[in-house]
Amino acid sequence: MKPAPFVYERAGSVEEALAMLQRYEGDARLLAGGQSLVPLLNMRLLMPSAVIDVNDVPGLDEIREEGDEVAIGALTRYSRIEWSPTLVSRLPLLTETVRYVGDRQVRTRGTLGGSLAHADPTGEMPLAAIALGATVVVQSQAGRRAVPAEEFFLGPYYTVLEPEEMVVEVRFPVRRTVSAIAEHARRHGDFAVISVAAVGEPNGDGGWKSVRVALGGVADTPILAVEASALLSGTSLEPDVVARAGEMALAAADPPTDVRASADYRRHLIPIYVRRTLELLQTRRSEGAR
Amino acid sequence: MTEIVERQTEQTRKSFIGQRRTRVEDERLVRGLGRFVDDVDPPRLVHMALVRCPYPRARIVSIDASAARALPGVLEVLLPEDVLERTDPITILRPIPDAPAIMPRALADGEALYEGQPVVSVCAVSRYIAEDAAGLIEVEYEPQPFVVDVLKAIEDDAPILHEHMGTNVVVTNPRGDGDPERGFEESDVVVEDTFSINRVSGLPMETRAILADWTPGVKTLHVRASTQAPHLFRRQLAQSLRLPEADIRVTCDDVGGAFGLKLGIFAEDLLACVHSMDLGRPVKWVEDRMEFFRGATQARESVHQAKLGVSSDGLIVSYTNRYYVDAGAHNSPMGSPMLSSLMFQGPYKFPNGYVERNVVLTNKVPVGAYRGYGQPEGSFVREVLLDRAARKIEMDRLEIRRKNFIRPDDMPWQTIGGAKYDSGDYRACLDMAAETIGYEDVLLRQAEARADGRYVGVGFGCYVEMTGYPGSKFLGKHNAQYGAHEGVVVRANRSGGVDVYTGVPPIGQSTETAFGQVAATVIGLDPGNVRVFAGDTHGTPVNTGSFASRTLIAGSGAIERAGREVREKALRVAAHMLDVPVETLELEDSVITSTQGPRITFEEVALNAFYAHRMPEGELPGLEATAYYDPISNAFAYGTAAAIVEVDPESGEFTLERFLFVHDCGTQVNPLLVEGQLHGGIAQALGAALFEEIVYDQESGQLVNGSMIDYFMPTAADLPRIELGHTEVASPVTPFGVRGIGESGTIPPGAAVANALADALSPFGVDINRLPLTAEYVWRLLAAKQAAR
Ligand SMILES: Cc1cc2nc3c(=O)[nH]c(=O)nc-3n(C[C@H](O)[C@H](O)[C@H](O)COP(=O)(O)OP(=O)(O)OC[C@H]3O[C@@H](n4cnc5c(N)ncnc54)[C@H](O)[C@@H]3O)c2cc1C
Repeated sequence: MKPAPFVYERAGSVEEALAMLQRYEGDARLLAGGQSLVPLLNMRLLMPSAVIDVNDVPGLDEIREEGDEVAIGALTRYSRIEWSPTLVSRLPLLTETVRYVGDRQVRTRGTLGGSLAHADPTGEMPLAAIALGATVVVQSQAGRRAVPAEEFFLGPYYTVLEPEEMVVEVRFPVRRTVSAIAEHARRHGDFAVISVAAVGEPNGDGGWKSVRVALGGVADTPILAVEASALLSGTSLEPDVVARAGEMALAAADPPTDVRASADYRRHLIPIYVRRTLELLQTRRSEGAR
Repeated sequence: MTEIVERQTEQTRKSFIGQRRTRVEDERLVRGLGRFVDDVDPPRLVHMALVRCPYPRARIVSIDASAARALPGVLEVLLPEDVLERTDPITILRPIPDAPAIMPRALADGEALYEGQPVVSVCAVSRYIAEDAAGLIEVEYEPQPFVVDVLKAIEDDAPILHEHMGTNVVVTNPRGDGDPERGFEESDVVVEDTFSINRVSGLPMETRAILADWTPGVKTLHVRASTQAPHLFRRQLAQSLRLPEADIRVTCDDVGGAFGLKLGIFAEDLLACVHSMDLGRPVKWVEDRMEFFRGATQARESVHQAKLGVSSDGLIVSYTNRYYVDAGAHNSPMGSPMLSSLMFQGPYKFPNGYVERNVVLTNKVPVGAYRGYGQPEGSFVREVLLDRAARKIEMDRLEIRRKNFIRPDDMPWQTIGGAKYDSGDYRACLDMAAETIGYEDVLLRQAEARADGRYVGVGFGCYVEMTGYPGSKFLGKHNAQYGAHEGVVVRANRSGGVDVYTGVPPIGQSTETAFGQVAATVIGLDPGNVRVFAGDTHGTPVNTGSFASRTLIAGSGAIERAGREVREKALRVAAHMLDVPVETLELEDSVITSTQGPRITFEEVALNAFYAHRMPEGELPGLEATAYYDPISNAFAYGTAAAIVEVDPESGEFTLERFLFVHDCGTQVNPLLVEGQLHGGIAQALGAALFEEIVYDQESGQLVNGSMIDYFMPTAADLPRIELGHTEVASPVTPFGVRGIGESGTIPPGAAVANALADALSPFGVDINRLPLTAEYVWRLLAAKQAAR
């Protein structure tokens, strides 16, 4: 478990990192927290010519409130997300969800940008980004583009990122929402077997609007359960509606069989976890929390 | 009658046995100052990496190492033909009775029989370059038909691993008594099932590791090893490398866990030595986790066809278990486990029984010893079936156990499996467990919960554990390549302390602390005055090592004898120095006092003994003794585990709400160490019961989860609080009345949790018959029941 030879580059700015990416013509990898890249290098599953360390790039790990958005820099560590007062009050789903990622060591190093770029279908940050309707800001020497999180992921460990592009920040809309997550994992901090995140805006009349339900571990990428979300919006999450939403989420899923669980079991869990998440949403609303 | 150990240590003197003393090892380990193999970097060090077969089975057609050899920094590439001629097969330490030995070789000989088997070995100036070179070696493989399922491997048309055997069944070892078939006919209720036990691994924090350092000219091979048995390691190396033992020194400073898999040498050990002998440089190999899952011995996997017959009043009439152990592709020095057979009876007596072990080869990593050595498997099957029988006859599960326990006044008891239980009160542990967990209350709570649509269950698992060996003669009959004894040197030093030299390496269970307490007690010193030097074949007597829950049993016997000799000589020398009769002297707290008044320190006596200026007539200089102790019998530890679970029948998810373990390991030399052993063993047991499983794909024969990402070892966050209780019935057959404790924790937890689950789900009539107990498995059981309705 030693990596194949590579050139180690250290970028001092985003521009420098982008120039390096360009120079290696797709044969370089950015190094952020290293929590996925380093094992992949060590197992020689990846053998890039160069590794470009972006940990010294200033300003890439800021959390800024900008109007009705919060922008989080790509290099922001999980642990900062976990403890950021801004996020606790503005985006509690993020601070809650991030605790399901690995263990404390992993969260001390791992970053938001790395997590999105790595695109694990069970990843909690990709899930939260989709549930919250985030926008991923991507940059190359040619300029910047903003990609909605729902369109960012193309498959397992596969995104819309071009080789010469990097994630620079992720923008999250902030609204008066209630949110919840429920996850089934084989052990504490392990990759999810399935996870469900839900966000909704309470209506004055006890109902909900703009409900978004996203699922992890049930397809090639985390998915937004579009039909279920539409169904739930405008309801009071009555049990029969929730049950139907669970069935719709199930229909949208195409879960894999792997060493963690079979596709059958994942399918079985989908409606259960959709229901649990939505129940949690209701409870939180009535408690006035989050 | 069982012999009773003579006890010559007077009970009147101050004793440190039974004291909860902190571990002396922790002074270095907690500070990060332990010395493991990878901590040692001698000058001119080079590194080894291997090419391993990527197929479950393949003929090796050709190997092209030219690119690797040309890579700067590469020092040597060893192909099979380079080493097979120069090394002998690895000897089997504990041969399987009546079975052919299929001994591992340093590199695959023409054909590799499992994914991960070493095919080519490379040495380079860094591990990085060695791995680069390994990647450049082109091996042409011709994949062959394989089998990775133990029951498929015994079918007529299964590919045979070792052609000359004509079968994959290495051996069938039957054992029985009475007439089991008639017993079933006479039973009122018979329950039977086929149980699958998962393949798991012991997962030491320090993987396998070796540093081999050959000095040319003087011809010495100094090996730093991570092993449980340095003297056995030395002998095996000498045999396979065809060297006289004198040429080899094995040093073992700290071992980061072993659990049975570090018994005996592996192919990689031979390869590192051969490289070092060729290059005249120290060669290091520290296994990485990817290699670990493809090379270190694995354990437990077996299929048990078991049947239990009881009378309507709850007496066991007949019990049989025919089981198939998946041994992997060849023997390992300690594989495969034997104690599912020997201990199949557990704590119960019954007239008719039969147990049959079938050792079966498959194209998988070889199986070796793992803490418990067959007992967790056998015990799981028996305890789960017993609960089922109890449910069938509507008898309380405590009641059925109490009815069948072997009682204290039945002892010694000869079991059907071939063990002779020394002593013990099995019921006492069950009763304590039931009381501590509040059995009656749990049943009430269960009923209330059910009314509420929630499913709570409680379960128990009882065990008897064979600890130690019944003497070297017994092992001789079984052709083992070691004895049952331990030897120590106890030598006073000139500061008034004693040095204890033992071949038992420090593998984590804290023998330095325990041995120190025993030596201090026997001699009359404070444990702080005793230093234990462990694990170096230079300067320690030839011994057996740390396994089979035997170390303290055999070790304390040796220390008692050597310590007594030192003490008695010290008293004789003191008598001479003080000019008083020796009978008037007592040694305590490092001071020798005569009832007639004069006193002298142990330090002064020791100093004089080494100067030999004033010795009694005929007394030789020095103050030391070497002693061996060969156990006369096994001691049997025992106990009960209990668990409470709550299950969500919709999802199959469950929580282990409470877990407790009541046990008896005889005299506890140090309760702190006992608890540590139990915590570790229980964590491994719950890991195997709830999480862990090494999976091979049936279609491709490929290992599916060969890394820590996909092998679900539990972390502290996944384990319940462990509640411990104990009784203390001193064994009549061991020094100080100790019973082994190293393995107990691994044995009954799986059964306790399985029984708790079955209890919780009894309204559904669910039968548990495999490990691990995952949420998905519970869901499948329930789904199958629903489908059947
Ligand atoms: C023990 C363990 C447990 C884990 N458990 C979980 C879990 O439960 N849930 C979970 O979601 N994850 C888990 N992970 C993975 C973890 O979340 C990783 O940290 C994350 O996937 C990658 O983030 P990173 O900053 O470490 O990125 P790195 O490992 O440095 O990089 C990952 C990939 O992203 C690329 N990359 C990094 N930054 C950028 C950027 N700004 N722009 C473009 N590409 C970039 C890299 O080139 C690389 O290909 C676990 C990891 C470990 C080691």
